[in-house]
Order: sequence, then structure tokens, then C-alpha cells
Amino acid sequence: MNEVLLTLGFGLVTAAILSLSAVAFTLEYAVTNVANLAHGEILTIGAYAAFVIHQSTGNVLIAALGASITGGIVALAMHTLLIERFVRSGIGAMATLIATLGLSFVLQNVLVIFFGAANVAYTIPQGAPQQVGPFLWTPTEIEIIISALCITAALYVIITFTRFGKALRAVFQNRDLARVTGINARLVGAATWFLAGLVAGYAGFILAESVGTFNPYFGFSFFLITLTAAVAGGLGKPFSTMAGAVIVGIALEFTGGYISASYELAFAFAILAIIILVRPRGLFTNARRTIFE
Amino acid sequence: MIQYLVSILTEGAIFGIMALGLNIIWGWSGDFDLTYYGYVALGAYMTLVLTIGQPTPPAQYILGLQLPYLVALIGAVVSSALMALVVGLIALRHLRGIYFSIVTLGAVYVLYVLAGQYVPLFDGYNGLSGLFNPMGDALGLDFQSYPFFFLGFCILIFVLVLIFMARLSGSRFGLALRSLREDERAAAAFGRDIYRMKLKAYVLGAAFGGLGGGLFAAYLSAFNPSAWSPIEAIILYSAVLVGGKGNIKGVVLGVVIMIVFIQESTRFLPDVPGYPNIIPATREIVIGLVLVLFIRYRPQGLLPERRYIDHSLQAGVDAGGNALVSRRFGAFNRRFRPTRDRRQISAAADSPLSISPEAAVASPLPVLEAAVAPPLPSSEAVAIAPRQQPLNQHQPAEPPTVSAALVVEGLYKHFGGVVAVNNCSFRAAKGQVTGLIGPNGAGKSTAIDLISGFKLADTGTIFFEGTAIQGLPPHRISRRGLIRTFQTPRGWPGLTVLENVLLAQWDPERETIWRSLTGAKQAQHMASQAELMQAREIVTEFGLAKLGNERAGNLSGGQKRLVEFARIRMAAPRLVILDEPMGGVNPVLGERMALAIEGFIAAGTSVIIVEHNLPFIERVAQQVIVMAQGAVIAAGPFESLRSNQSVIDAYLGEVPL
Repeated sequence: MNEVLLTLGFGLVTAAILSLSAVAFTLEYAVTNVANLAHGEILTIGAYAAFVIHQSTGNVLIAALGASITGGIVALAMHTLLIERFVRSGIGAMATLIATLGLSFVLQNVLVIFFGAANVAYTIPQGAPQQVGPFLWTPTEIEIIISALCITAALYVIITFTRFGKALRAVFQNRDLARVTGINARLVGAATWFLAGLVAGYAGFILAESVGTFNPYFGFSFFLITLTAAVAGGLGKPFSTMAGAVIVGIALEFTGGYISASYELAFAFAILAIIILVRPRGLFTNARRTIFE
Repeated sequence: MIQYLVSILTEGAIFGIMALGLNIIWGWSGDFDLTYYGYVALGAYMTLVLTIGQPTPPAQYILGLQLPYLVALIGAVVSSALMALVVGLIALRHLRGIYFSIVTLGAVYVLYVLAGQYVPLFDGYNGLSGLFNPMGDALGLDFQSYPFFFLGFCILIFVLVLIFMARLSGSRFGLALRSLREDERAAAAFGRDIYRMKLKAYVLGAAFGGLGGGLFAAYLSAFNPSAWSPIEAIILYSAVLVGGKGNIKGVVLGVVIMIVFIQESTRFLPDVPGYPNIIPATREIVIGLVLVLFIRYRPQGLLPERRYIDHSLQAGVDAGGNALVSRRFGAFNRRFRPTRDRRQISAAADSPLSISPEAAVASPLPVLEAAVAPPLPSSEAVAIAPRQQPLNQHQPAEPPTVSAALVVEGLYKHFGGVVAVNNCSFRAAKGQVTGLIGPNGAGKSTAIDLISGFKLADTGTIFFEGTAIQGLPPHRISRRGLIRTFQTPRGWPGLTVLENVLLAQWDPERETIWRSLTGAKQAQHMASQAELMQAREIVTEFGLAKLGNERAGNLSGGQKRLVEFARIRMAAPRLVILDEPMGGVNPVLGERMALAIEGFIAAGTSVIIVEHNLPFIERVAQQVIVMAQGAVIAAGPFESLRSNQSVIDAYLGEVPL
């Protein structure tokens, strides 16, 4: 029983990081209809930014903030320089997806040139584990979970109650109709990507913090899990995505803890394949999708 | 230097084979498959475990059979194909676009993790080695002459693959495959079993991946997960993209540029002192940038997919419908020399779906002339004042209880809480035009989807010429001779108008991989002489002769309607359901369509037409069925409905027509 709770505790930490990464990915998708395969690199760049800032200032808080803002700028640049131009010139979502795959490689190798391909150790003293309710968490892990909850709450307020959130949802439902009604879809897109980048950059920081090491490829492998979570929850729907992330995060920690950590990713995709086949539109919608319906 | 050249050419030939395989899946079938490099890797691994000996501890791996290399190569092809079958059965069933890509990304990752982590399979990260100079000993080759032999061997296989691809590219199967990429619904509406065809193409492509992998294993004499990094896959995709998806020469050019030139020639560059990463990282950056820039500025690649150009169409067809057959059948395929195939003609006559060429020439002739020379009074008159007599003179006078083409009984379909079709029953007579009218939301389009198999009815029966067809998939219904059109015209935009018309006939005999390689020449090609003549005639009849070689996607909305009608004429089904063919169509075009509908009847095709343009319905339809709120509320000749109070309430309104 204790072991189950311990694993569940780890699972919740993973789920917290994963849900931030996944919600950022799904927001990017929502406003452009493009699955951004270079999403993982936003996390990677966030982690490197945090590392560099932390080394030069010695302040974790500034490092976290720096990671987040860097992530926001990178995502904004991706959107303005690449995605938006592609979407506007009528290149389909599928072709744009392939372009983001190319971009992902470019970014990885730019990082290799600047920082080398080797692992960077990023060890922050985590502090002694503490009993929180039934779970055993280190102070850092507690911070991760609390910050994830705060960000989720903030996103919920922004998306549900603000004019911007309304515009965002309108663009997701029907981009052309939204534009006809006077919504500046480009601006909404840019703002959403910046917001998503802020979240993703921070997710990169807490991922690096909790794993302890990273390299130029680390965001990409985490992205594969992110993709699982986002599709499991339902692409483009922020809060279903987060729910999907919690389920996938906990499931992964259990397969990792009870079967073998090496097969974690394989299991993630096994889960994904089953979900896609049974519920192609995500776990939380009832609609069955066939080729023609 | 010469050794280097030999090795780079060998690698080029091997990657060429892989890229050509990928082109089947991505270029022709149109699925962005991320598992592809997994099939290459599986082929390489299988070749190794089949040829090398038993593992010596601590190494562990399966098999170790010491089979001859050529046998192992076959084993590699078969295992990649089998894995593709499993992945394809799952991923191709319902998934397209990004969902397909995501699942295939998952599949390759599962394979990668298994190969790397599950040591008893292929010795984990150590990988396999020990395949030295296969076939070399038997042929008495020493280590110096062997590379030349192996280069020759790879080039030989590459050339064989290239010939195969050239045949497939110009074959009926290849054409039908590309139509799936262009529009699946339209393809299903004309009899193509999408899942099956895509699966075939997927497995075929993966088999070539396995073949490439088997050669690659011999070239490297070893394989492990580090030979299988994402960049290897990316460079393969970029080669196909840069050269030109769908064009085999383009794919080969792409391999030369990306793999031989960018990937390999940069290995010559000296290291930058102190920065060992710069050269390889820059190379990968260049490859990534090439991918991005080509998608942005030249998505069709350096050599775009070629279309079949029919020169006799451009030259024109004389009024009698006798095509001026040119000996030059276009740049698309030089070996394309259609000859008259009597077997084909007689087979076509037997087939219920196609009319024999003689019939096609003979029967629609009056219509053909009428359509070519516009006999229009004034366009105003056509649109507003319908002709007083229904135009059914060329039909034999039949009693009102003619045998029914279609009988629908108790059809029911709901979406969530909305009942779209509610106990809908009607019959449509053979040899007649039946109009189906009703207000928006009456369930007309849903009813058509149910009848044609694009949606499944909750309950109810549908009889097409006496046989129940409910529950059948769309392609089966289409093959029985019931073809539908769509509210917005659907076709295959990337194919030419003539290709669109040719593809209207589903040809089970020739639309197979096997028949595109074997059999008489005309069987390989996308159309026989007779079919080509018929298609030219029809294209000319619909006034599209000048546009026949144009890609269908470039046409205007009205022209797309005409192509749709031309396809129906070519397919010559026994029943066609037209879904709002007059939507957005000008009066002159409307007249042409009215004549075309008469032509369908004359050619033995019964017609059901859903339309809001009531004068048009009054003009062409002998029987009219009125639907409202999912059910049929009235049926009969148009005149009788004018006075029907429920029809007036539901649809016509009080304003006199």
C-alpha cells in the first residue's frame, strides 16, 4: 500500500510537469491547427536558459522566470516567423507539421553547437522528503505541484473569463468565422503561442530540475509523452488535455515503477494507440469517429 | 578516393531503394508515415540474425541461422512487410493526417525501445555484427574486389526497383492509389476499398524499406540503434520531398542531392579545432532547413509529380466522337501504347458497372449533339419557366408500377438528440428521374449518406434493385451500381480531368499490384484504348475538351460539377443519386445538366436528384418525393404536389410558384 502511494506521489509530480507541457502544446494546436513537433525544443531551451541564468545569478526564482520568458519568446518567434506564415500562405496543416519536424532538428543542433551534445548536470538541492498527506515529497516537488496548480488556475481564468480567452476559443472553433467577426486571428495566435511558450519554458525548467540532467535532445523525448497526453485528452481542448496528462503521467509512473523504466515510452505509445483506436477524439468525448462520419 | 566513390554510390543506391519505397506510402498513398525507418531497421536486423551464427555470451539475440544472404534478404522483406501489416491494420483503419502520423511515430518508438532495451531480441544497444562480405566467398572475391561487386549488386537491385516503380507509377493501380490521396470519399463513391488499397500500398512500401535495410546491413556489416537515429529518417523524408513526392525520377534526384551530396560529401570537411560538433551539427541544421524551406517555397519538389498529358485531347476530337488517336501518348509514360484489347471490351460489356464502348458511342449520341450545340432559348426562360412536358419521351412507356430501382423502408438515424431521418420510406422507379425535395434539415442529405453507405442507419432497410444493401460499406454499394455525388463537388484535384473521368470506372481486374506488373501491356496501364476513347468522348461531350489535361483542382465550381457529371456518364451506374447538383450553377450550365440527366436515363441509369431549384425538378423529374422532419410527407408527380396542403405548409409556402 505504501509503495502504491509512493508511486502515486511520483506520478503526480510527473503529471504536473506533463500537464503544463501538454496544455501548452494543445494551446498551440488550438489557434493554428498545427501539431508543433518542435514543441519539445521550447522545453529544452527553457531548461538551458534556466541553467545559464541560475549559474550567473545563483537565484532559482530568476532562473524559473527566465526559463519561462525565454520559452515565451521562442514560441512567439516560431509562430510569427514560421507557423503563421505557413498557415497564411495556404500550406496545409500536414505539411506545416513536417516543417516543424525540420525546425525541431535545426533547434536541437543549434543547441549542440552552443552547448555540446553531452548531458548537463543540473542539480538543485531538493531538500529532505516530507510527508504531505499520504505522499512523500521533497520541497522541490511540492513547489512543482503547487506552481503547476497555480498556472492551471491562471490559465483557467484567462481562457474562461477574459475577452482574450473568448477570442481564443472562437479561433479554435472556426478561424475564418472568427476573422469575419472582427477577431484578429493573427494577434490571438501570437498571444496564445507566447502564453503557451511561457508555460512550456517553465515546464522545461521544472523537468530539468526534477530529472537533474538534460541535453539538447531531452525536450524531444519528453515531447513524445506530451503528445500522448494531449491526444489522450483531446487535441485543442486545454482542460481535457490536462486531465489526459494526469492519467498518462500516473500510468507511466506505475509502469515505470512496476515493470521497467526503460519501457516507459513504449508503454506511453501503447496507451496512445489504444486510446486513438477506441476514442479518436480523446478520452472525454463520446463521439466515435470513422473515416466518413 | 575510388574506394570512397564506390562506397558513396553503394550507399546512394541503397538509400534510393528506401526512398522509392517511402514514395509509395507518402508520395502516392499520401500518408506521412513516421514508422518507415523502423521497417528499414527491422530489415537490417532480420538480415543479420538470419545470416550470422549463434550468439556467443554475453551477446544475446534471436535466431542466428547462418542462412545464405539472399534468403536472409527475402526474410528481411517479409518481416518488414508483416510488421507493416500489423501497424497498417491498426493505423490505417480510421486515422488520417496528424493522427496517423502520431500513431506511426508511436509504433517506431515502440520498435526502437524494444530493439534497444530488450536485449534477448537484437542484443540491445550493442546491436549485431558479423555479416562480412556476403556472397563474396562463394564467388571467390577478395576484400579489394568485393566493394565493386557489392556496388554492382546494389545498383542491379536499385534498377530493378526503379523499373518496378515506373510500371507502378503509370499503372491503373498507381492512378487509383493517387486518387485515394486526393479525396477518399470520392474514391469510395467510385468503388475503391480505401482501407484495403492503402494497406496494400503501405505493406508494399514497407517491403522496400526492409529490402533497403537488408542491403544496408550488408553494407555496414553491422546494425545497432545508433545507426537508427532520427536524422537517418529525416534525411530520407527530405530526399523524397526535395526531389518531388510522387515522381520517381524526382525521388532519385532527391537522394542524390540530400544523401550523396549534403550528407556524405560534408564528411570530407576538416574538423574545426576545438569544436568537434560544428560540422555534423551544421549538416543536420542544413537538412532541417532544407525541409522547412522546401515545404514553404516548393512543396511539390524539384521535379513535381507528372500528370498524364493526352495529346489527342488537345488536338481535339471530331464531332462523331472518333478520337484523333495520336501515336504519341504523352510524356507521362513513353511506353504507353494502348492497343485494342478485345478481351477488355467484352469484359466491360459483361460488367454491370461499365457500358460497352459501342453502347457508349451509340446511345448518348442525340444528347451529345444537343449538348455540344447549345439549343438554348434564353437563359431566363430556362431558369424560370419549366417546360410543360416532362422530358421522358425516349423512355419506353411503362406502367406506373415499374420495377423499383431503390426501395427504402423505415429508415431511422439520430445524431445525439437530433433525429435526422425518422421512419423514412420511399421508392424510386427504374428508368426515371426521381426528385427528392424538402426544406433544409429535412434529412435529405443524411438519407443519401445512409443509402450510399457513408453513414450507418440505426434501423431500416434499403433495397437496391431487389437486394438489401444497408450496412454495406460505400465501395460495395458503388460496385453494385449505385453511385452518388456530393453537395459540394468532390473529385481528385491533383489529377487531370481526363484521369478523373477514367477513374470513374472501377476495374477489379487491373487495379491490383500484380496486374500492374504482369499481363498484357494495356492491363498494366491506367486505361485501355477503348476506355481512353470513351473518356475523351465524354470529356468533349461535357465541353471540357480544352481542360482535359488540366488538374481538376484548378477548375471553377461549375466546371467541377461538369467533371462530376462526366464521371457519372463514364461509370454508367444503374442508379445515380445527385446531391444538389444545381447549387451555385448558372442557368446555361443548368441547361447542360438537365440534358446530361436525360442522357443518364437514355444510357440506362436511373436518377434520384436532391435539389432546391424547383423549376429544375419540375423539368427533369417524373416523380417527386417530399421530405420534412426526417420523413416522407408526400410523393407523386410534381403537379399533384402543388395542391398538397402538407407540402405547401412544409416547403412550398403560400406564394404561388
